Amino acid sequence: MSLLTFTPLVIPMGKYSPMLAGIPYTLWMGVLVAILLVMLTYIGTKVHPGNGEEGHDD
Amino acid sequence: MIKWMIIFGVIYLGVLVALALISRSKVKNADDFMMGGFNIGYFLGFMTFAATLFSTFTLMGMPDFFRTHGVAAWIFLAVSDGVMIFMVLWFGYYLRKKAGGKEFKGMSGLLVKCYGNKWAGYVYFIGIFLFLVPYVSIQIRGISIFLDAAFDHALPSWGWAVLILSIMILYSETGGLKAIMYSDVFQGILLMTVVWIVAYNCVQNLNGIKQMFVEVKNSNEALLSAPGPKGLFSVQFLIASLIAIVMIPVTQPQISSRLVIMKNQSSMNRMAVAVGCFAILVILPTAAIGMYGAVKYAELSTPDFLSQVLLFDQIGIIAAATMVGLIAAAISTSDSQIFALSGELRSLLKGDEKKVLTTTKIGMVVFALAALIFSLVSSNEFALLARVSFAGTGLLAPMIISAIVTDKKLNMIVVWATALSVVVFILSLLGFIPSQFFGMRLDLILFIVLGLFTAGVVKFGGDQSPAD
Repeated sequence: MSLLTFTPLVIPMGKYSPMLAGIPYTLWMGVLVAILLVMLTYIGTKVHPGNGEEGHDD
Repeated sequence: MIKWMIIFGVIYLGVLVALALISRSKVKNADDFMMGGFNIGYFLGFMTFAATLFSTFTLMGMPDFFRTHGVAAWIFLAVSDGVMIFMVLWFGYYLRKKAGGKEFKGMSGLLVKCYGNKWAGYVYFIGIFLFLVPYVSIQIRGISIFLDAAFDHALPSWGWAVLILSIMILYSETGGLKAIMYSDVFQGILLMTVVWIVAYNCVQNLNGIKQMFVEVKNSNEALLSAPGPKGLFSVQFLIASLIAIVMIPVTQPQISSRLVIMKNQSSMNRMAVAVGCFAILVILPTAAIGMYGAVKYAELSTPDFLSQVLLFDQIGIIAAATMVGLIAAAISTSDSQIFALSGELRSLLKGDEKKVLTTTKIGMVVFALAALIFSLVSSNEFALLARVSFAGTGLLAPMIISAIVTDKKLNMIVVWATALSVVVFILSLLGFIPSQFFGMRLDLILFIVLGLFTAGVVKFGGDQSPAD
């Protein structure tokens, strides 16, 4: 997904439409990508090998 | 405003003193002082990570970046931070395994162990010194300019810089890492509150978000898309920035040490997600402040724009809170960086624990003085200077990652290649060699070549025996 960010899908050079509630395309799409990345990281923590570990002896 | 600044300033200093003294009472040994006892829970870890990561660069550099180069500044920092927290999960897991719990003293010492050669530690230490000192200087310079403007030249800029650094050193040396972390909680909350209040005022002033972007369009349409009016946000620039920012948890000791001292893996994972949320919430309002600046103060210099939008356009109590928030943002990042540099020095030293700790504390003062000197000569391009710092430390990443994720005793050629890359990058910054080759940015070339070279050495040229 981070690779897609650097394609015209998220940053079409010189274009700012379609706008969402007046916000230019790259900005609202960028916010969406950032939120998705955080959600993916959250999912990652749930399947991570260290999840649920107690104490500091790793 | 001055009255409110004095009131807030006294409260802020009082909180710092109290936190330093409380932390001091809990310090029983050098590990407590330098590593917070290796027992940091999720919330404290999250707030200290966030406050250390988001600094004056965020509150001052990002609005100016949005104002000058447009909305793709969001991709530059917020998307890069989104990927960075994923790196926290992946790298943090291996680092915690490799660090061996409470044996960890710093990345330099760990690299000496992994490579079986003290020069691995020295190259890392010299690299972070060269690129973190300018980053600390940005914080100090930024805030000094502000205080100079707010107090109508009551003190010269260098006088404010000395005052801030003295406060920082005093409470860091008194309470150690825990004092820094407790103050980070306070400073992180302050930073977030202030940036939202200022952004809200900016949006209100332009009659809402929709109207704000209409006015930006009328003022300078190129700000609404990449690459921005000056063409800065090219795909190459954004990718090179992404790599540099994603590598921060790997290369910058104030961040990597925070991954190791978390109580357990689970706390570290939760901390990473919380930092991701914090990143979105703290960067979003800087876009609004920047857009406001693009409409109202497009022609002003960086210091004038920032003084205007953060101080003079706000009512007294908000301007005063902003000023204290800026000081907090500067201090919360700088103290962690200076403290981490001295921690790295400690990890390279051997001998009596008391003597090592004394040398470490002296090192802290020396690093602060180096930052002070650089702050007097650095430019006001805060965001670009920060990016240079991220890119410079980013060059150390292949050397570190290969040491952390493999169990081999590694070939020193990786360390020498890293040192060479750092020298080449510095020569390009000084203008001795071009910053682009064949239409490609030099930092991106160095990231790719060094990464591939290191991967090749690890795969085919590394010593197959396990490290000691």
